[in-house]
Amino acid sequence: MKGGYLRFEVRRAVRDSRFLVFAVALPVGLFVLLSHLYQSQGATPAYLMGGLAAFGAFKAALDTGARTAVERGAGWQRQLRLTPLSGAGYLVAKGAVAMLVALPPVVGVALVAALTADVRLTAAPWALTVLGIWLGTVPFALLGLLVGQLCSARNVQTYQGGVLILLSFVGGLLIPVDAFPPVLAGVARVLPSYWLAEIGHGAVSGSGGSGAAPAVLAAYTVVLGVAVIVRYRRDGARA
Amino acid sequence: MLAGMERITPHAVALSGLRKSYGDRTAVAGIDLLITPGEVVALLGPNGAGKSTTVDMLLGLTPPDSGAITLFGEDPHRAVAGGVVGAMLQEVTLLEDATVREILTMIASMHRAPMPVAQALRLAGIGDLAERRAARLSGGQTQRVRLAMALVPDPGLLVLDEPTAAMDVTARREFWHAMGEFAATGRTVLFTTHYLEEAEAHADRVVLMRDGTIVADGPVSAVMARVGGRTVTALVPGARPAELLALPGVVDAEPAGDGHRVVLRCSDSDGALRALLARHPGAGDVEIRSASLEEAFVLLTGAGLAGEGVAAR
Repeated sequence: MKGGYLRFEVRRAVRDSRFLVFAVALPVGLFVLLSHLYQSQGATPAYLMGGLAAFGAFKAALDTGARTAVERGAGWQRQLRLTPLSGAGYLVAKGAVAMLVALPPVVGVALVAALTADVRLTAAPWALTVLGIWLGTVPFALLGLLVGQLCSARNVQTYQGGVLILLSFVGGLLIPVDAFPPVLAGVARVLPSYWLAEIGHGAVSGSGGSGAAPAVLAAYTVVLGVAVIVRYRRDGARA
Repeated sequence: MLAGMERITPHAVALSGLRKSYGDRTAVAGIDLLITPGEVVALLGPNGAGKSTTVDMLLGLTPPDSGAITLFGEDPHRAVAGGVVGAMLQEVTLLEDATVREILTMIASMHRAPMPVAQALRLAGIGDLAERRAARLSGGQTQRVRLAMALVPDPGLLVLDEPTAAMDVTARREFWHAMGEFAATGRTVLFTTHYLEEAEAHADRVVLMRDGTIVADGPVSAVMARVGGRTVTALVPGARPAELLALPGVVDAEPAGDGHRVVLRCSDSDGALRALLARHPGAGDVEIRSASLEEAFVLLTGAGLAGEGVAAR
């Protein structure tokens, strides 16, 4: 019976073509712009691909989760509390939709990297890049839901923008962390976005990654998951 | 078996000793209320009387500080999950990007034994709006979509928190027509309203709240009778209020607004009028009318209406 709600949300997400196109176009466009810059600096576009695939995926997931602030402000969550849908059911459906819209940007960046920047990998690194980054997006979907529960519909975009800049720039998704001063590089290694990009970087470099990335992202998933559930429960009562 | 025969149908709503405070402000100060299945009950009171807090607790949205709530014998969360209660809340806007049918189908899909979406659309009088996006509905249409959302679980109890606020006259009439069709099928309805004529026209029973307590509860006519069954207004030259109050059947006497006439609230207006004319032969310009629910409301809640956004006519 929860399937009906998920179906409803998926339909809404798929219909929002402007959001979906932008979610894919932004990282793909950035790749096209930056890959030449990277090559002129002697860096490999494959490295950039990992960062921008991570960027596109987590931005789409974060935005989708954060948009629940609008529904909350409109009283829609109160309305849903008058249905058999549980809090968990609501959050799982919203998280699933965030994950759904996170996939096209990853695929888009991988495609443009292969087609325009001549990135050549065997099947296993491709699969690891696309699926690994996509699955690693789960904590960002949760982070989006948390932002959506904490912010009002009016100020959510400001917070979301701040979170996005922190995660993408400081996380080293656009500029390699190796180019950072040591302190900033230390900060980067705390951020989940750094580790999300590491999945792609590891796949491309052939090292396959260290296993640290999945561990860090799993830890973020647990912490953010608990925070979202606690916050949603507290929000139930009208103050 | 005996046990089966002795089983009593539970009340549609049973509240006992219900209390809720926010900080040091008491919103609901201990109320008891029993509603029998099939009743249509209006919950009235000035702003801040505790109506919406009561509704929120009843629906399980706000936990009470103390007291017990059952809806058809079940706790609110189970009743909501089981589709036993449907509700229209205040201040809920619809998702603008979804169509009316999509919203109703989604809600129906979550319930075990929902009303067919087409039936809910028809009952709410919005059969022609099914494919419309919520963003393109008028205020009155939105309210009727929200009524349909409350009807879709096919609930035994329908709770409406100020359903017609901000509706124009035509929209209100259409709304109550739709609600009446549903109530006619023997369902229980509890609604709050600022419009006293709505309570008078559509409720079997009114519950008046003030400062978090229930100050009057009964059939509309009985609550109106609390302020005196009828009101006699007359020009009585030279009569003192104390003399008039002593007349049989008079419960209250005070000068009328124009300063010349007197207003007598009467428990027995016929007896009072006979005695008035016998003892004060000069009395004239007599007018007799029923007490209004508005008078009962003012007297029992101590609240003026003008500042409350109440349409008093």
